[in-house]
Amino acid sequence: MNEEKKIIHYDALVVGGGIAGGEAALNLANSGYRVLLVEKERSLGGKMILLSKVFPTLDCSACITTPKVSEIARHKNITIFTESEVTTIDKRSENDFVAQITKKPRYVHVEDCTACQLCEQACPVSVRDEYQQGLIGRKAAFIPFSIANPKAAAIDIENCTLCGACEKVCPTHCIDFTMQPEQFELHARTVVMATGFNLFDPLEIPRYGYGQHKNVITSMQMEREIAPTRPFNTILRPGDGKVPDKIAYVLCAGSRDASVGNPICSQICCMYSIKQAQLLMGALPMADVTIYYINIRSFGKGFEEFYQQAKGMGVSFVKGKIGTIKEKENGNLILRYEDISEGVVKEAEHDMVVLSVGVKSNPDAGKIFPQGALKLDPHRFVAQTDLMGSPAKTSIDGVFVAGTASAPMDIPDSILSAGSASSEAISYIKQHQEA
Amino acid sequence: MKERIGVYICHCGGNISDYVDVEKVRQAVEHETGVAMARTTVFACSDANQNDMVEDIRTHNLDGVIVASCSPKLHLTTFRNVTERGELNKYTYVHTNIREQASWAHSDDKEGATDKAIRLVKAAIAKSRYAEPLHPNLFEAEKTIAVIGAGIAGMKAAASLADKQTEVLLIEKEHRVGGHTATWGPLAMSEESGSALTERIYNDLLRRENVTIMNGTEVISSKGSIGNFTLKVRKRPLKEGDPVETAEFTVGSVVVATGFDSYQPKEGEFGFAQSDNVITLPDFRHLIDHAEGKELIYNGKKIRNIAYIYCVGSRQTNGENSYCSRFCCTSAIHASILAKKRFGKINNYHLNRGIRTYGKQELLYAESLALGDLYLQWAEETPPAVVTEGKKTTITLRDILSANRDLELEADLVVLVTGMVPRADNKVGTLFKLPKGRDRFFNEVHMKLRPVETVIDGVTIAGSCQGPKNISESVNSALSAATKSYSLISKGTLETEPIVAEVNSDLCSWCGKCAEACPFDAILQQEVGGKMVAVVNNSVCKGCGMCAPVCPPDAINLINYSSEEIMSMIDALA
Repeated sequence: MNEEKKIIHYDALVVGGGIAGGEAALNLANSGYRVLLVEKERSLGGKMILLSKVFPTLDCSACITTPKVSEIARHKNITIFTESEVTTIDKRSENDFVAQITKKPRYVHVEDCTACQLCEQACPVSVRDEYQQGLIGRKAAFIPFSIANPKAAAIDIENCTLCGACEKVCPTHCIDFTMQPEQFELHARTVVMATGFNLFDPLEIPRYGYGQHKNVITSMQMEREIAPTRPFNTILRPGDGKVPDKIAYVLCAGSRDASVGNPICSQICCMYSIKQAQLLMGALPMADVTIYYINIRSFGKGFEEFYQQAKGMGVSFVKGKIGTIKEKENGNLILRYEDISEGVVKEAEHDMVVLSVGVKSNPDAGKIFPQGALKLDPHRFVAQTDLMGSPAKTSIDGVFVAGTASAPMDIPDSILSAGSASSEAISYIKQHQEA
Repeated sequence: MKERIGVYICHCGGNISDYVDVEKVRQAVEHETGVAMARTTVFACSDANQNDMVEDIRTHNLDGVIVASCSPKLHLTTFRNVTERGELNKYTYVHTNIREQASWAHSDDKEGATDKAIRLVKAAIAKSRYAEPLHPNLFEAEKTIAVIGAGIAGMKAAASLADKQTEVLLIEKEHRVGGHTATWGPLAMSEESGSALTERIYNDLLRRENVTIMNGTEVISSKGSIGNFTLKVRKRPLKEGDPVETAEFTVGSVVVATGFDSYQPKEGEFGFAQSDNVITLPDFRHLIDHAEGKELIYNGKKIRNIAYIYCVGSRQTNGENSYCSRFCCTSAIHASILAKKRFGKINNYHLNRGIRTYGKQELLYAESLALGDLYLQWAEETPPAVVTEGKKTTITLRDILSANRDLELEADLVVLVTGMVPRADNKVGTLFKLPKGRDRFFNEVHMKLRPVETVIDGVTIAGSCQGPKNISESVNSALSAATKSYSLISKGTLETEPIVAEVNSDLCSWCGKCAEACPFDAILQQEVGGKMVAVVNNSVCKGCGMCAPVCPPDAINLINYSSEEIMSMIDALA
């Protein structure tokens, strides 16, 4: 460990470089404040940068995210730390926050890397590619994904065998195994928490057979299969590489379900499933797509119309919650459910099942502040202490929450929430500024 | 004439390259006159490619840049900025759309799509050869900002702006602030009442010295554009005989927060206006907020059984309002719980079309179920029938949740859960020429990239005038709009597009046809050199070109779309 701790000063610390954190950082920077944006992953863009298209306009997600990320990366008032963790934040007084930040080594000097991918070709280690949701593999020396920012190689040190093959082929000698973690002490006047959400882990519902039945995948895996930067050139079921022609969506997988500790609605799954169904109808014109639901919650601007459009395209909607999923020998799946409109228990066979997994909180947000100073709600989202009057306010004056760190929400709502958090952060700084 | 043009053909990660053979397009244009280099790229808009472009401009000594990708609405500005970073005049950049116009429009014909893309790129090259460097028009912006509408959204926007050291005018049509919320009792998801929340936000606003609150005041006209809007306002007399006062203000930007109207059911819609037993959700809220005693009394009658019919005026697939009003499920369930807790002995029947208590609001739905409320669900094709005979109101419906059984229930009171509709009074929208969406609410430029901006530069939209929202969503939208309005003018100096119409006053003899055609009121009649001619206000003109073709003597030209450029593009397309 590098012993020397660097002391740095910024006006605002934004924790989390997804779409909400990025938007908050841009708003602050455009208003003249200097921002440190800290992201724990290797790239900015959060979950949004990995999506295919976005509802209800079917804009390509990368086409919205990458230029925004590019704007953030280039902004003179924003400094970005990727692969970095905010370990603690102490509030000493108003407008005086001190954060400890650890920047993990990437083992690549980003400024020298040309993303030529020679290291990737040379690396003998193959592991599951987390950015492709485990659908394919990647190397231990790798570019995280094609539209990552920064676009530079990284060494996955956990899996690296230190064989040195990458180092030998690198034309710019940017690979450096001697890199050490760096420690920073940040002094900032305000903090925006944009720590995002976790996806529900479908292993928690064993009766759906995720991890057992090969052709049961999550919605995020399907998102990758239909994304422009997809792993395969078409939609395949993972079990045998067959192109599916009868796809089922299981809504509320891990949402509105007290038995898995998540009684609330995740707010986005109905819509992203409808979106994926529409995209699948386009990509596989002969395929049948059925969505099993409890209630369809298409509540936002243009959402209900988007739902009606899916019905018009021929997507089947069946009102009924899936009880169990069983696998047949040929890899097809039998879904058992109560068909509510007929009041009978039925079974249906599909050759691929997508679990529309819900939004869970990222409780890391609460761990950063000492002695539980940052209050969480019963679902372990950051508690909004004035939901009606100032939705971005938290239990600590001067710490504001943006995006899904406080509750499930869709992209437009996350962006507005980030606008709200940055506005409150500016008001807070001004209020406590010495006259 | 440009001689070293760089052409970039974007895959759009498959959006284009799945249907258009981008390599073939590249080969077809790389030897065109004036083209110095042509390359394909997976995502032209990615940071990595943007950096490559800047590098190319330097190393290949480019004098023109073309990107063939998506709609200019999405990325014209992105690539103009790249061009500028490469130290070229950003207005020499030419954008051509081969996604919406080639790959998406012709996904059934790959060869045709490729051929069309080639022609579009060749036309762009033709235009690029003639593209002249232009400079944006610069002018000083007024730093005061007006907020129209002093509901929750307007007041929060005003407070946010005031905190940014901006003078704020908060203009409210009514004689009191707070909009709908001020009239509400207990709020869902909160311990506070609507009136208390309004008062708290209002008092907080009053602490700020740089906010001028004008109640009972209407904006009656607006002139000018971003940086310099001149608003004329009229104070509505409080009582008859009071003088009508008018005043004028100049502001740099405007936040529109004019709110919503509650849907008013038509006569006979679920028995509305035909029976005293049928009321709307706002009426019901008023009833329970102001009821005294331990019994719920309406029209002298004790109320026990209440039926709530959801989606009244919302989700009408082929009707006037196809959208979901988003707040009403939660609001109705919350009101029904209040009624039950407060008056006891109340039976609630929720006749819904699928409950939409999204997010944490789901817990209210769970609470209502735990309290024993009954939920029945109907399909749009088979709406419940409400019949009142004498004092008795009966509802029949086909219930999806009990396998489509036909049910009948008697209700003392029927509450029509009405949604939000756009303001019937659209004066403000008309003044600023704000476009509306399919739902007739004001429309944003882009739901994700520019969610609070309108196509009218300098005018942002906050709260439920943009679409149905609950209070906390309105506040988020309002604070975002305030931040945007502030950042638009905070630099003090504004740039506007140099791509505007220009009038050749030698040829013009003022017939007024151009002014009639202009959708932005950018053309004025003025005396120049002893005769009346048309003059274009550069800061208002959007460069839409509507005026040019209607001009009888052909005296109007659109900068950046000269006849040379257009004719050469047409030749390349042919």
